Amino acid sequence: MDSKTSSKAANKAGSDLSEQIKEITKDAHVRAENTQLMLNYQKGQITQAQYKLLLCSLYEIYRVLEQEMDRNSRHPAVEPIYFPQELARVEALERDLEFFFGLQWRKRVTVPAATLRYAERLREIGRSSPNLLVAHAYTRYLGDLSGGQVLGKITQKTMGLSGNEGVAFFSFPEVSSAHRFKQMYRSRMNSIELSEEERKKVLDEAVKAFEFNIEVFDDLQRILSITEQASGGSGEGKTPTTPLSAVSRSAVAQFTLGVCAALVTVGMGVYAF
Amino acid sequence: MADSHTEDSTQPELMEDGEPFLSNLDIFLFSLIAGLIIYWVMFRKKAEAIPEFKKLETPAPAARETSFIEKMKKTGKNIVVFYGSQTGTGEEFANRLSKDAQRYGMKGMAADPEEYDMSELSRLKEIDNSLAIFCMATYGEGDPTDNAQDFYDWLQESDADLDGVNFTVFALGNKTYEHYNAMGKYVDKRLSELGAKRIFDLGMGDDDGNLEEDFVSWREQFWPAVCEHFGVEATGEESSIRQYELKVHEDLNMNKIYTGELGRLKSFENQKPPFDSKNPFLSPVTVNRKLNKGGDRHLMHLELDITGSKIRYESGDHVAVYPTNDSNIVNKLGEVLGVDLDTVISLNNLDEESNKKHPFPCPTTYRTALTHYLDVTSCPRTNVLYELAQYASDPKDQENMRKMASSSPEGKALYQTWVLDSSRNILAILEDLPSLRPPIDHLCELLPRLQARYYSIASSSKVHPNSIHICAVVVEYQTKTGRTNKGVATNWLKNKVPTDNGHKATVPMYIRKSQFRLPFKSSNPVIMIGPGTGIAPFMGFIQERAWLKQQGKEVGETVMYFGCRHKNEDFLYQEELEAFEKEEVLTQLNVAFSRDQEKKVYVQHLLKNNKEEVWRQIHKDNAHIYICGDARNMARDVQSVFYEIAEELGGMTHTQAVDYIKKLMTKGRYSQDVWS
Repeated sequence: MDSKTSSKAANKAGSDLSEQIKEITKDAHVRAENTQLMLNYQKGQITQAQYKLLLCSLYEIYRVLEQEMDRNSRHPAVEPIYFPQELARVEALERDLEFFFGLQWRKRVTVPAATLRYAERLREIGRSSPNLLVAHAYTRYLGDLSGGQVLGKITQKTMGLSGNEGVAFFSFPEVSSAHRFKQMYRSRMNSIELSEEERKKVLDEAVKAFEFNIEVFDDLQRILSITEQASGGSGEGKTPTTPLSAVSRSAVAQFTLGVCAALVTVGMGVYAF
Repeated sequence: MADSHTEDSTQPELMEDGEPFLSNLDIFLFSLIAGLIIYWVMFRKKAEAIPEFKKLETPAPAARETSFIEKMKKTGKNIVVFYGSQTGTGEEFANRLSKDAQRYGMKGMAADPEEYDMSELSRLKEIDNSLAIFCMATYGEGDPTDNAQDFYDWLQESDADLDGVNFTVFALGNKTYEHYNAMGKYVDKRLSELGAKRIFDLGMGDDDGNLEEDFVSWREQFWPAVCEHFGVEATGEESSIRQYELKVHEDLNMNKIYTGELGRLKSFENQKPPFDSKNPFLSPVTVNRKLNKGGDRHLMHLELDITGSKIRYESGDHVAVYPTNDSNIVNKLGEVLGVDLDTVISLNNLDEESNKKHPFPCPTTYRTALTHYLDVTSCPRTNVLYELAQYASDPKDQENMRKMASSSPEGKALYQTWVLDSSRNILAILEDLPSLRPPIDHLCELLPRLQARYYSIASSSKVHPNSIHICAVVVEYQTKTGRTNKGVATNWLKNKVPTDNGHKATVPMYIRKSQFRLPFKSSNPVIMIGPGTGIAPFMGFIQERAWLKQQGKEVGETVMYFGCRHKNEDFLYQEELEAFEKEEVLTQLNVAFSRDQEKKVYVQHLLKNNKEEVWRQIHKDNAHIYICGDARNMARDVQSVFYEIAEELGGMTHTQAVDYIKKLMTKGRYSQDVWS
């Protein structure tokens, strides 16, 4: 996303950061909604295995995001949008993970490479450009308060969960009205003072934030399809088939055959000449 | 692998050449054998993995039944409940309604409009006593849910004749969105336009409020209307569907009895943070004074002490208080019903699977239940009248009660005049219908729970970190029956007078965070519009702006628009406001005295008078606008004036002005804290 595009978007949406960010991430937003994982999710075609894996990634992302927000809470570009009581997700995610994985959940959290890259980016900007944290906070939290609410209900229904069990992530008890909170949050975003240059960077980072999320969804989808194939199509995860064992079994077989074929060819070659 | 055979046959000739060749052959043969073995192992395993199936009898895939009429006929159903649902709530409601049908001697089924040919609706009359119910959710900008899109399209294009089709609609939506329940409203209107017969009013469910409650109350009136329409006798089971069973306790330890707590037993005696709706803090009242200098109303200012509670708040938040009912009313109820109110009882849910074991904390006494837990002052809903009707020994009374609960026009009119317009609460009804003597436990099951009341906090935590201020007007009025009705919470608060004789007046309270906030930057101008008790949160705002100024911060224009009836009577906080004006914390104080002159003057008129300034503040100086008070008229009238100002001074068309203000709301620059 080059600066020309971001300034064009900026002009169209006036001078408010909340409007500019919405404009510039419009396309990315549509793409995120249309990843295979999200499409399945919206149709209610999400299995417990898939949801558990998603929770693991969300945990890693929010753990780092909230750590960096806490560290930079007094920074002028973070203070206006710092709402740990209302928004923080880490505790809720820990409760959900404990619900699904048991007390030893910390040892059983697995994340794909895309999640690690996302977390690394958050750490990096937390360290060197806290200005950009708002781009990520906006993308995640406002999403959670909007479409996220719908996903929460779908999850609860699809998995036959009752109360808040396993879906604490989607619930914001300190926010009495998601609608009004978003309005107030936008006014806070708009009070962040940024130079032209800094603003362009924030807008670019917002698009990046969506990209990171898309990559995470795609990575999760990839892992889950391999798991499903290996366990004979049943995605319920009855047997603890880790993706690794599935991949290695076929790889070993292929390798051995390859070696034998190579040796046969060598043998033939030597014999022929 | 086939090649190996030809190689083998030519090998003997070359064997004589020497060692190196032999080793190559060895390698060759070895790898060949190894490869074969591995291949065999791998693939044999795979082959074994394919189990031997018995020849499966795959039934010819049933042609999916797309005719809901045929399905209803086949399964003997007369009621079909269609749902437009995205998150599953609409579907859940549809399922519950279809199950309900059984209680009334009918059979229902829930159906996804996406799976059926909706044009068959016109055939519904082929089934006797048929009814189509629609649970339609609105999505996004007034759109149908995905599964109702085709149905919506069909409705728009169709000119089908739905004469003879009975229907009702329940709409699911959210009031904070502009197109509130647009889909439900449209379906209700369109079906009627196409000739179908509406047998019960459109139900409106608001997810911003309490969707479940809206659904349940609508449903409770809906089914009696259905029964009446079809002339179906309510089955014996239906007339007395108790949810709870009474248990009287003879000798129970006092420590096990609830005396008004909402969550944990003894939570009022042993107070432990954190404090919330299940565990309120008993805050001592330190100040309780009358705010108005005259007139017949009583406006009051209270201060609640929160020292030591660890409770934190911000200006703009709400304080929730748990009031109790007037003991006079409670005693009279006991007398009329002829019970000893101090009997210790429990009401236990007959459905053991339910999460809700009791309708209110049990075990407790009738007195405690009627005082702390039950709403006895609101007008009872029609379903309560319906359930109580069986206890009226006078057949005329019984008939009238059932009538008021029905959906017939005469019944609705009777309910409107006899109950609502006359403001009759349950005590009044019992007094005016002497033949009606229900058992008190059934009444306790039917009455709604006493709700907490919310007040906008009238103080700033920066200035008063340990005190929460309340500004409220006591509700009291004469009813058409000559009774005096009193507002529960405001009268209860009025009587919370701080005393010196050791017995503190306390208020069980907790904080509900709001999103009503001063702008982040103190340099932003604020325009506050809060007539009457709507001034409450602005006292907090102004105190905070004063504090910021003291802290040396740059504070922008702070403008107040206040309105009341008479300058000499109800100019609330006059001294404080004038002092703030003098100190220039309040850069502009505009007050409208509506009844001090012949023509009514309200806050919106003052706003209009200042239009150039107002426009400059909004359009150039990034002012944030705040409105607090009456939702029904004031908020709407004020909004209209803002449209007018934008049109006139911003050179906009009406539509553009509406958009402009809407954008301000989206960006959090136009906030409302209003009540009806």
